[in-house]
Amino acid sequence: MDQLAHISPLYTALFTVVAPFIAFLYQAMAGKRDQSGVISLIGIIFSFIFGGLTWLAIWNNPIVSAQINWFTIGASTFKVGILLNNLNVLMLFLVPTVALPVHIYSRAYMKGDSGIHRYWMYLSLFCFAMLGLVVMDSLLLMYIFWELVGFASYLLIGFWFTRETAVQANKKAFIVNRIGDLGFLIGLAIIFTQFKTLNLVDLFGEGGLIYQSSITGGLWVSPVNSMDQIWLTIAGLAFFLAAMAKSAQFPLHVWLPDAMEGPTSVSSLIHAATMVAAGVFLLATVFPLFNESALLFIAIIGTITAASAAYFALGQYDIKRILAFSTISQLGFMMVGIGIGTWDAALFHLVTHAFFKCLLFLSAGAIIHEMAHLKAHSHLDFDPQDLRNMGGLKKYMPKTFILMSIASLALAGFPLTSGYLSKDSIIISSFEWALSKGDLYLIIPLSLITVSILTAFYIGRLIFKAFFGDFRMLEQVKDKLHGTVLHEAPKTMLIPMFILGICCLFPLFSLNPVSYHDSWLMDGLLLDEYTFAPSHSAHLIIPLILLIGSVISWTIGWKWYVQHKYPLNANNFALKASLNQGYINELYQWIFVNGTLKLAQFCYWFDRFVVDALVAFVQFIVLSLSQLSVWIDKYIVDGFVNAVASVAYWTGNQVRLVQNGKLQTTLYSVFLFVLLGLIYLIFF
Amino acid sequence: MPILSLLIFLPLLATAFILALPTRYKSSYKYIALAFTAVQFVLAGICYAKFDASQTGIQDLAGYQFVEQLPWIRLDLGAIGKLEIDYLIGIDGISMPLLLLSAFVMLMAIGASWNIQKSPKGYFALLMVLNMAVMGIFCALDFFLFYLFYEVMLLPLYFLIGIWGGARREYAAIKFFLYTLFGSVFMLLIIVGLYFSVINPITGAHTFNMIYMMNPQNYLGDSIFAWDGYQEILGISARLIGFVVLFFAFAIKVPIVPLHTWLPDAHVEAPTPVSIILAGILLKIGGYGIIRICYSIFPDMAALSNWWLGLIGVISIIYGALNALTQKDLKRMIAYSSVSHMGFVLLGIASLTAEGVSGAMFQMISHGFLSAALFFLVGVVYDRVHDRNIYSFRGLAQLMPKYTGYVAVAFFASLGLPGFSAFIGEAFVIIGSFNAASVGTGLPRWMALAGSIGILLSAVYLLWTLQRMFFGEIRLKGGESWANKLTDVNSREQLILFPTLALALLLGIMPSLVFSNLNASVLNLVSFIQQFI
Amino acid sequence: MITLTHFLVVSACIFCIGLYTVLSKKNAIMILVGIELMINAAILNFVAFGKYDKVSYGGQIFALFAIVLAAAAVAVGLALVLNVYRHYKTINPDEINELKDK
Repeated sequence: MDQLAHISPLYTALFTVVAPFIAFLYQAMAGKRDQSGVISLIGIIFSFIFGGLTWLAIWNNPIVSAQINWFTIGASTFKVGILLNNLNVLMLFLVPTVALPVHIYSRAYMKGDSGIHRYWMYLSLFCFAMLGLVVMDSLLLMYIFWELVGFASYLLIGFWFTRETAVQANKKAFIVNRIGDLGFLIGLAIIFTQFKTLNLVDLFGEGGLIYQSSITGGLWVSPVNSMDQIWLTIAGLAFFLAAMAKSAQFPLHVWLPDAMEGPTSVSSLIHAATMVAAGVFLLATVFPLFNESALLFIAIIGTITAASAAYFALGQYDIKRILAFSTISQLGFMMVGIGIGTWDAALFHLVTHAFFKCLLFLSAGAIIHEMAHLKAHSHLDFDPQDLRNMGGLKKYMPKTFILMSIASLALAGFPLTSGYLSKDSIIISSFEWALSKGDLYLIIPLSLITVSILTAFYIGRLIFKAFFGDFRMLEQVKDKLHGTVLHEAPKTMLIPMFILGICCLFPLFSLNPVSYHDSWLMDGLLLDEYTFAPSHSAHLIIPLILLIGSVISWTIGWKWYVQHKYPLNANNFALKASLNQGYINELYQWIFVNGTLKLAQFCYWFDRFVVDALVAFVQFIVLSLSQLSVWIDKYIVDGFVNAVASVAYWTGNQVRLVQNGKLQTTLYSVFLFVLLGLIYLIFF
Repeated sequence: MPILSLLIFLPLLATAFILALPTRYKSSYKYIALAFTAVQFVLAGICYAKFDASQTGIQDLAGYQFVEQLPWIRLDLGAIGKLEIDYLIGIDGISMPLLLLSAFVMLMAIGASWNIQKSPKGYFALLMVLNMAVMGIFCALDFFLFYLFYEVMLLPLYFLIGIWGGARREYAAIKFFLYTLFGSVFMLLIIVGLYFSVINPITGAHTFNMIYMMNPQNYLGDSIFAWDGYQEILGISARLIGFVVLFFAFAIKVPIVPLHTWLPDAHVEAPTPVSIILAGILLKIGGYGIIRICYSIFPDMAALSNWWLGLIGVISIIYGALNALTQKDLKRMIAYSSVSHMGFVLLGIASLTAEGVSGAMFQMISHGFLSAALFFLVGVVYDRVHDRNIYSFRGLAQLMPKYTGYVAVAFFASLGLPGFSAFIGEAFVIIGSFNAASVGTGLPRWMALAGSIGILLSAVYLLWTLQRMFFGEIRLKGGESWANKLTDVNSREQLILFPTLALALLLGIMPSLVFSNLNASVLNLVSFIQQFI
Repeated sequence: MITLTHFLVVSACIFCIGLYTVLSKKNAIMILVGIELMINAAILNFVAFGKYDKVSYGGQIFALFAIVLAAAAVAVGLALVLNVYRHYKTINPDEINELKDK
């Protein structure tokens, strides 16, 4: 350790980021020849080790950063650099810590898949993008990795590209994320215009440009520029839009449930520590930029997300979708944490959530793995992810049951788990915040308390339906299979789950199991004083309410799902709406997708029948004019010439008649002329 | 060594060779073309390597590099004065990257023409004439010379589309020809007007020299385009008319909405190599002309009308993207996406900020080889089954995995994925045009926001196409026989695709390769125009 | 009383009839008749004007001379007509258009 300690944290951080990238390059070049994923695994192990070293070196120590010039446009030079502060190194360590178990797990879970070499490639790319995102020192670079994360998730979600649903889902994920990217880009443009730099240290560092700017007389004034103060709010909202897409906040959350089409190991990685956390991380990074109205907006959206997602989770039957909605709901909590100004609490919840959600997904993956095996062996056609096909799995998979229960308790915020600490930190802070603001603001903490109890209920429902009671497929598969129907997942999958299980408990984060204020993590991140006064009674009452609520909800769940005393009609509207995610997808399809397509079709129609027709019309006019001139040429100009000619011709023709060689005609004409001569002589 | 002259006239030598060789050696034509273009590319590379990035260019002849100046036509016209046309060529930061790009895209186009069967002699001869004209356009600093190359370029293109094109090739060729001719005819009027307005300060004769045209002091006081004397045509400032006419002449090439309808038709009917040249080089001539000629000769009017230019840019971005969304023909979709992407160029140029103009230049370079790669990729599948309809294919990823990889990379690169060149271009156009309001160039901020919608839409249509054609179960219109014909990319195709996409990646990661050469000229241009705001 | 004018009128009438006949008839004999009529109209004029030459009777003498000439001419003319008829089987002058050696 001492030998390693003198390596600059910059290099260790760099290596943390680069290791998966090297693995990616190797896998990209090796292609099908290497399907083992050993290099990817080694890469992430290195990342884990060096991430840890970096974390040790930087945590609670001064900030370290280094830059080199990248390129110059006009007067501004853009730099590439690494910034290591507490927030960044925390994420830098967290990502490989969660990714490592997922890698190990994947070796068993993805075994035998025909495209597994691509799987390792994408996974390494994803880790690289995510790690890059958290250490970069400029918003431009963050944006680059931000999009790369989206790209890698696109590849991972659509891993099984022959499945129609999977490719629909990855397209949806990328496009929804693109909406957020636009927000990020606009935010970048505003920041660059206002401060002429995108460097995080210059902007948000101690005494940075953000702190030097102020609102004076309706203008947002920075040392180099000034613009209307509305742009400050817009900048905040633009960055929040980016976070909304990545972290699946309410109107833009639709991609996340669909993204469950990817392999379960991917879901666990994307939804636990990495991609969805990126939004929260971004908001924590640019936190000083937010003004009051932006923060309030964030808190409101967070609450709506937490509540709506919890509601949608209630009616789902797909085991992964329940977890997906619980992720969205928990992200809503984190957003509230940001919105009320306690981004340290949000980050704390992000970290604890990373572990228990990863474990939940991996456990779900283990169940799906077994169910899929059962499906393959029995040649029956059923959905291995549907809760209605499970039940009583406790008997066959006891270890998975225990691990998943621990994770569920953490999710529900049960005391002695990590979730208890972090969730309480947000709810209690929001309560204190609301007290300092006014009565109307109490809606937010009250909703959060309700959502927490709902969370306990739906995760309880999952556990009860999957593990308790009798196995529902037993009758159908009994005669096709002999011996054991289901068994525990292989060790390669169980060991990482076990490690994660330990991480779901309180000692990792705080020695005091009931007070989040003692957590090392909160201490490390807390930079400023909170803007509101602490309330001691809240620290006592709120956990108690949550605990009692959870227990009550589990009792109800037990009655409904295990003892089969289900009182509700499955077809009632509230449940159907919940199952169909509030028909939001249908609404989007109807308004945005069809709307855009209609608009596009109109544009093409316009192009063909107006623009092109205009060209055709000009062409027609030119042609008509030319035809007119042809006509004039033919009938007027030429006509005149022809008329002269034909007069001569006609005269000649007439005169010719005389010269027909007949005596009488000649005589006649002679006489005629004599007569004419006579007449002339006589009369003139 | 007169490196630029060599660069311009080498292809002419190749044409002579090709024409001189009897037809029984017809298999050697492509090698001759390839060899000459390769030499040309090396020369362009030497130019790039020797290029001094600190030189400014634009309105200052001393800031140009590799300048060659020879008196070309000297005629004593008696009372009108002396006719003075120079053979004046040189490059600055604006033309340098485009020159290199042209040489590269030409190389790609030759590679894509490898299997041309129909009278290769004429084909390669015309291609080489086109090559010469394109190089000439980017180097010419004398307006007469420029116009000459500009018109010479039309001719081979007309024949290349009209003879080697698809089913409706004659319609497309004539449409293309008329559109561009329409622009250039009016351009000629302005050139003549400029000629009579500008005098060479040294000899006192009227001149076609563009550099002299950029200096207000060289204008005669009572001439039509005079700066101080306010001349009017039909009650509109003559300089504004001059600017607008020149702008439209080049904007047809860019192309802008609503003067874009030649582009989809020309692309759809043109053979693959010509599509590559059209998208890769021709469209850039439009953007180059706007910067080099409209903006530099009429900077006052550029500052006056940039709001409209920005608006046209935004409309092109969104309108082109929406149109691309409904196309069933893959090539037509890419053609419309070109309209959308070139809209960014216009928006960036209109911003009149260093970021915006640099972004626009970068976008031109990036679009140059990315669209060339896209058209080449369409050509790959069209060569095999002679169908380009998006709905005729599904699940190609299983049949052609490498091809799908290339398509995916090219699609993601052109939808602006960071790490690829298009991202840098588009991002800086947006940043620059957003910044414009603060610099005071009069481009409102909503244009930047509206332009960014184009980035979203480009993701939508490209990903949708990717999903429809490549993913899912295999379902082909031609059934089993197609499945046999649809072989994966061969090594020749990979040899062309790989460097192109690698270049897109390289420039995305190291944009300084372009920006460093560009910067001095762009800064000079921006400050040159901003004094008129 | 019958004046000179009456003679001249009659003579003119006869001349006109003769002229008409010459111009319009498709029969060579009728044309000859027409010529004869015209000559006779002229002779009538000679005779009428003879009144003014009471010394040498130039009018009458010239009339007699003309009658003789006319008779001779008619004889030749009829002979020609007869020969033409024999050769062409027609005496329509319009159809006689091959006045050349065979």
